[in-house]
Amino acid sequence: MHLHKYEKYWLLFGGGSLIVFLLITGIMAFHNGSHPPSAKNTINHEKVDQIAPFNKPGVHKVSGKDWDYEIVVLASAFYYNPPELEVPVGSKVKFIATSKDVVHGFEISGTNVNMMLEPGYVSEYVTTVDKAGEYLIVCNEYCGVGHAQMHSMLKVVDKK
Amino acid sequence: MAPKKHEEEENLKGTLYLVFALGAFIVITWAACFGLFLERF
Repeated sequence: MHLHKYEKYWLLFGGGSLIVFLLITGIMAFHNGSHPPSAKNTINHEKVDQIAPFNKPGVHKVSGKDWDYEIVVLASAFYYNPPELEVPVGSKVKFIATSKDVVHGFEISGTNVNMMLEPGYVSEYVTTVDKAGEYLIVCNEYCGVGHAQMHSMLKVVDKK
Repeated sequence: MAPKKHEEEENLKGTLYLVFALGAFIVITWAACFGLFLERF
């Protein structure tokens, strides 16, 4: 088959960039541990507020784990429990969240934390909050008439 | 039937420029999005 010299150039460039992009995706997944926030963890959503850790939603300091804080959030129409979260800047945080009724969203605006909360499933995301500030948490899955009012606030504060 | 003659090389210079301009656009926008992802927590 005859190929023009230039055609070889762009085929090489296209094939090369495909390899580079796949390598980056592979390194992100297998070395940096970047995965979708579904923890493959199921829970009885009807009794969720009696099951740990969702019987005590809030910010919990933990020790002996890879992260410093666990933030447990229980979403229900049209409300996040707790309505406000506060963690010191620089701490490694694990968000553990689920829904009590319908599908809700959990997006911390301006960050990479963006999870779908499904009844019966636990969603988790681990990150280091390295920038102080106030971050609005919004529901980005249409969940009913109060959807637009459904929000919470993450406050990343300087250590005292 | 006579054997096919090798056709004259086409001039693909403009195509080359356009393909690489498009490639550069894709790479730059992809890198910008990836940078945003890495920079945020």
